[in-house]
Amino acid sequence: MNAIATGAADAIKIRSLVKRFGAFTAVKDVNLSVPAGAFLVLVGPSGCGKSTLLRMLAGLEAPSEGEIGFVGQTVSSGVGGVIADAGRRNAGLVFQSYALWPHMTVAGNIAWPLKVAKWPRDKRDRRVREVLSLLGINALSERYPAEISGGQQQRVAIARTIAPEPSILLFDEPLSNLDAKLRIEMRSELMRIHRATGATSVYVTHDQVEAMTMATHVAVLNNGRVEQFGKPIDLLRNPQTTFVATFLGTPPANLLGVRRIDDGLVFGETTLAPAALAADHDEVQLLYRAEDVCVGVTAGAPSLVARFAEAAPIAGRTMVTAMIGELRVTAMADGYFTATPGEQIPLSFIRTPDAVFAATGERIHQ
Amino acid sequence: MTSLSLFAPSGGRLLRSGFLLPAFLIAVVAILVVAPLLRILLTTLTPEGLAAWKAVLFSPLSANLWWRPLFNTMILGFSVGAGCLLIGGFLAWLVVMTDVPGRRYLGLMATLPYMIPSFAAALAWGTLFRNSRLGGSAGFFETSGLAIPDWLAWGLIPTAIVLIAHYYSLAYTIIAAALSSVGADLVEAGQMAGAKRPRIFFGIILPVVTPALIAAASLTFAGAVANFAAPALLGLPVRMQTLSTRLFGMIETGQNERGFVLALLLIAVSALFLWLSDRIVSGRRAFVTVTGKGGRTKRFPLGAWRWPLFTVAVVIGLLTTVMPVLVLAASSLAPQSGALFSNWTLHFWIGEGGGEIAQGQAGIFRNPVLIDALWNTIRLGLVVAFTTMLLGLALAYTIVQRRGSLLATVLSQLAFLPLLVPSIAFAAAYIALFGAPIGPLPSLYGTFALLVIAASAHNLPFAVQSGRSVLGQISADIEESARLTGAGLIRRLFAIIFPLAIRGLFAGAILVFVKMVRDLSLVVLLFTATSPVLSMVAYRYAAEGFMQFANAITLVILVVCLAASLLAHSLQNRVQKWKQP
Repeated sequence: MNAIATGAADAIKIRSLVKRFGAFTAVKDVNLSVPAGAFLVLVGPSGCGKSTLLRMLAGLEAPSEGEIGFVGQTVSSGVGGVIADAGRRNAGLVFQSYALWPHMTVAGNIAWPLKVAKWPRDKRDRRVREVLSLLGINALSERYPAEISGGQQQRVAIARTIAPEPSILLFDEPLSNLDAKLRIEMRSELMRIHRATGATSVYVTHDQVEAMTMATHVAVLNNGRVEQFGKPIDLLRNPQTTFVATFLGTPPANLLGVRRIDDGLVFGETTLAPAALAADHDEVQLLYRAEDVCVGVTAGAPSLVARFAEAAPIAGRTMVTAMIGELRVTAMADGYFTATPGEQIPLSFIRTPDAVFAATGERIHQ
Repeated sequence: MTSLSLFAPSGGRLLRSGFLLPAFLIAVVAILVVAPLLRILLTTLTPEGLAAWKAVLFSPLSANLWWRPLFNTMILGFSVGAGCLLIGGFLAWLVVMTDVPGRRYLGLMATLPYMIPSFAAALAWGTLFRNSRLGGSAGFFETSGLAIPDWLAWGLIPTAIVLIAHYYSLAYTIIAAALSSVGADLVEAGQMAGAKRPRIFFGIILPVVTPALIAAASLTFAGAVANFAAPALLGLPVRMQTLSTRLFGMIETGQNERGFVLALLLIAVSALFLWLSDRIVSGRRAFVTVTGKGGRTKRFPLGAWRWPLFTVAVVIGLLTTVMPVLVLAASSLAPQSGALFSNWTLHFWIGEGGGEIAQGQAGIFRNPVLIDALWNTIRLGLVVAFTTMLLGLALAYTIVQRRGSLLATVLSQLAFLPLLVPSIAFAAAYIALFGAPIGPLPSLYGTFALLVIAASAHNLPFAVQSGRSVLGQISADIEESARLTGAGLIRRLFAIIFPLAIRGLFAGAILVFVKMVRDLSLVVLLFTATSPVLSMVAYRYAAEGFMQFANAITLVILVVCLAASLLAHSLQNRVQKWKQP
């Protein structure tokens, strides 16, 4: 509703955001903005600053520098601290631990934020029933949190968060405590809820699969910095750093460090690609997707000998992991393939590298 | 089932047949716990006993024997419960939920008063506030020219204050544990909902810790109701009677049946309240906090109140820990008990007898009775610690291994029964059972053995609890993986089980030792001249007006307790190097 009033303003706009804890800088100069209705996923390894970023969005932490704006209004800044309190930014947070209040029933948990917001009783009751059925947990309304399963607690936590109709939904690794099957189920459930509420969502995870499947926008974080921000498919196709290239994608892509010798890029003794790809660098890293590396010798394609490590059948083909020295390489084989661990197998690189990176990790554009 | 046969390395086969140990334990628990309680009940059902019931409850005497002591006891129980909840709760909130400076030290200080026996605090109070109403020497304040009114020198109010000063740290421990289990997420979820601090406090934090508040209130209530030392030292001189002092008086004057009746009534009062609180707390709303992350607690900024509240907490801590010890120490050096800081002498410690001071009595370290009592006390502490932990481990083992069976249920219920019985009433039950010869067995009354048996029985709930936690540290997997290497039972016992269990056993044993060394209410009835213990000697001296001797002995008790705790601390770190303290 605010979004309409302010017209083109981004639903969430983060400018030069920095967060320091003592001498440690958890978030370094983050700039992001997403339109209303977006599903932004912050993904990165543990300790990359993604949860801190989310807590600043929620208003639970004040930034050290920079600004956060919600629909055109500054809610926190390095100068003013938390300008709008956590409760006043029309945002809801789903905690990793669910944070259900153990002394209230399921219905009580959902109703309490509405009571705090002074909703009239009949409107409140109607809304509680509504979100209970949206999450499919009507039958649990009189139970206490300790009496329901982890997956059900998760649903209650989501119901509680969306009940006050926040315009921004924040999720802190909400699926990490669920088992694999339930996680996939809840993934589509969350996307359904995202569409049903129309809220702008920010979702923190360390699982790149969740990022790729759910996001409209992805920010890959590493060491407190945004490595790359964009649509999931763009990040996958056009990684700008080796970190993004290896962090995203299933199966993981391969990076081979090569040297320029004459007019070729050489790995060990084998020339893999023409030197022109490296521009003016002498040592570069070549990105090969698993599907561009084949088990076996292919005429005309450079090949390397590797030690077989393991094989996993996937959708009619086989994903093969092998070691070249200390380097782990993932390749594909047609049909079903297996070998004895340690056995020498040839791997051929059937296409030109998907991307070339400098030794320091940045993409080299031709 | 893995065999954790700790108890008979050579007789493992017999134990695994699963009959001998449980049968033995049932017999032991029956004799230690059930028999005395049954006996005291049966004794009051004899014609003399029934007459005693009538005298206590329905006779012109009953106002003095039962109603007035009951009234005093209840007043004490409720005021101590409320006071401990306020002070312990305040400190717990300050330490756990706020950014008060020096939180760790405040927390440590709040747990210390429980280490100081309640009679130490009572003696210190007397040393300061005693007035001349009863003759004898006045306390420090009156000697210094401050008139102390009777209500502040004797009776209910000083007793309640001394008991609150002792028991608030129990409330603190319980409430602080509950508050730290309130995860930051729960609070932040409330903030996200837009709730302000008071709303979060009353709407989330307080309800979540309510079970702990009720538990703290009922345990401190039960402690105050059962306490003997404080009302005896501060109330008896002005004839203020509680149920426990009344019960003591009856048995001391040979009116055993009346004493037994009062003991049963005291058990009923104490058990009733513990049971009621348990009923309130249990049930559907006996919520366990469901949090994943845990550990992190939300600390609210106090702003301008940081230092004032810090000061309040420090003052409470100093008044209840350092102050009593200093007063006792000064008094044990002062020839005139009112003039705490003049003419200090070591007479009460090492002086030879025959002089002007202390009616010619020698100092405590020259008094053979006292040296005797010191050794007796340490011996009692050691023996009881050993028997208690052994018994606790055996019981815990059987209960854990046969979880769910009738035997396990019966054993654990019986082992926890002493928790409901105030120690002075428990002692009365032991007099009822062992006060007279049983068949061919001689009367045990007045022997060291009876003290050991009664104390072991009374410590059973604690022993089983710590036995269970010790066994909980040794998972079946650990033992099984050792077994798969082919190590024999004895080898496993010494290489795996013992090193893992030793720390827990040791910690439990030290606590039992300390409890025994400073106990008065259990030994006060079972003690005789042939087996004196320190606390009892101190009580006698205090009752006879030799405050300096009483205070000096109390200091000795404190030093023994402190030394044991320090020893435990340093040994623990040495025994299990892989664990951080």
